[in-house]
Amino acid sequence: MAHDPARTSNLISEGKIDSEFLRNKLKLKSSEARQSLYKKYPHVEKFFADKGLDLGKIREHSAKIITTGALTGTLLFSPPMVAKNVPALANIIKNLSDFEGAQPGLAQQEALLVSLRQVLPQKVGPLDRAQEKTLEQVFRETIGVDTKATLEGEHLNSTYGYIGAEQHLARYPGDRMAVHPKTPQSDEGMAPGLGAWGYVPADKEKWYAVVQTLYLPDWAKRQPYLRDWYKYRKVLIVNTINGNAVVADIADAGPAAWTGKHFGGSPEVMNYLGGPRYIKGPVIVFFVDDPKNQVPLGPVDYNKVEALGVKMTQA
Amino acid sequence: MSKLFFDHLLVLDEVEVEIKRSASSREEREELWGLVDDIVNPKVFETILNKLPREHHEEFVEIFHKCPYDEEVIFGYLKAKTGQNLEEELRKELEGIGADILKELRPQDEVTAETKVSNK
Repeated sequence: MAHDPARTSNLISEGKIDSEFLRNKLKLKSSEARQSLYKKYPHVEKFFADKGLDLGKIREHSAKIITTGALTGTLLFSPPMVAKNVPALANIIKNLSDFEGAQPGLAQQEALLVSLRQVLPQKVGPLDRAQEKTLEQVFRETIGVDTKATLEGEHLNSTYGYIGAEQHLARYPGDRMAVHPKTPQSDEGMAPGLGAWGYVPADKEKWYAVVQTLYLPDWAKRQPYLRDWYKYRKVLIVNTINGNAVVADIADAGPAAWTGKHFGGSPEVMNYLGGPRYIKGPVIVFFVDDPKNQVPLGPVDYNKVEALGVKMTQA
Repeated sequence: MSKLFFDHLLVLDEVEVEIKRSASSREEREELWGLVDDIVNPKVFETILNKLPREHHEEFVEIFHKCPYDEEVIFGYLKAKTGQNLEEELRKELEGIGADILKELRPQDEVTAETKVSNK
């Protein structure tokens, strides 16, 4: 590919690639990729056109199909598995009550894990409305936090997916790690850019979450409403392997879908969910239904992990 | 949820690091993320179409149009029509695409070092 070597080395020598340079590089590469495909398979370009599919918008297309299907109940991901493996809500809640009755006190986290195993699909992926409703009740009964997968008509791009480790976000101009609180081990350091809403207030930075607002099917159309609605919105994050749960606020957008992750967590969030070396793992993320703003950010210590012998996991 | 049938094969964390380092705003970052999608998506289709006999191309696009998220349906279809495990082939191809993008974005010596680490 032709490019100006002098400019390239100049930009890289600054230790940070200029975004304009990056944009041009990526645009050129994307154009080459598309041309290569359609030159080789011109009939496929026609098939795409006939279907109204734009290669640049297939994520949007997928989001629309999934959202429509989930809302109407016509789309179940791997239907036979879901239908076979998810017991009725009443049964799960009854099992939960029986479990708690048999082992009062220490059993909450174990009860949660048993319920998760009953409700969740084998592979991490989209949940249908029935599964989400069941989990809302399970979280209320075990963790003691009111949550909604759909709150005020809004639903996250994913509710069951992989969370990845993020870095600290700047709280004010000039903020740096020398003065920023850190996790005791393996701290991720400071992000080079700002959060999605700029500098993050100190009381909201420690326990923050990242969600894929950019992939919401109506994100671009419903501005500025959605941008305001998601700003510092509280979510409950539950590690589906060990049951650890934390309330965090949404302070950034991402990660990109091609990272294989669906959410992000601040160093503190990740440390609590899975320990100091936890960098990626499956979680459920629901909105916290907290109209009076009474639920504090941070760990939900509804049980002691060690007391149950549940091991922390590291990805 | 926005999910494509090949998302589980994509792990371009190092590309994301470069984008985060360079983008100065959320909008800029998301635009650059979208451009990576614009590189990956045609490559995925080209890799698949290279293996899929011509007479099945239209049907494949039809299936993709109906369930772009469903890896089991799509990879199941491709296996039935080609007799090959295209999932594995695509995984390798996508690793190459990631390295290729990084090569464009980083000095050569840095890319080589990263690739060596990630291949371990």
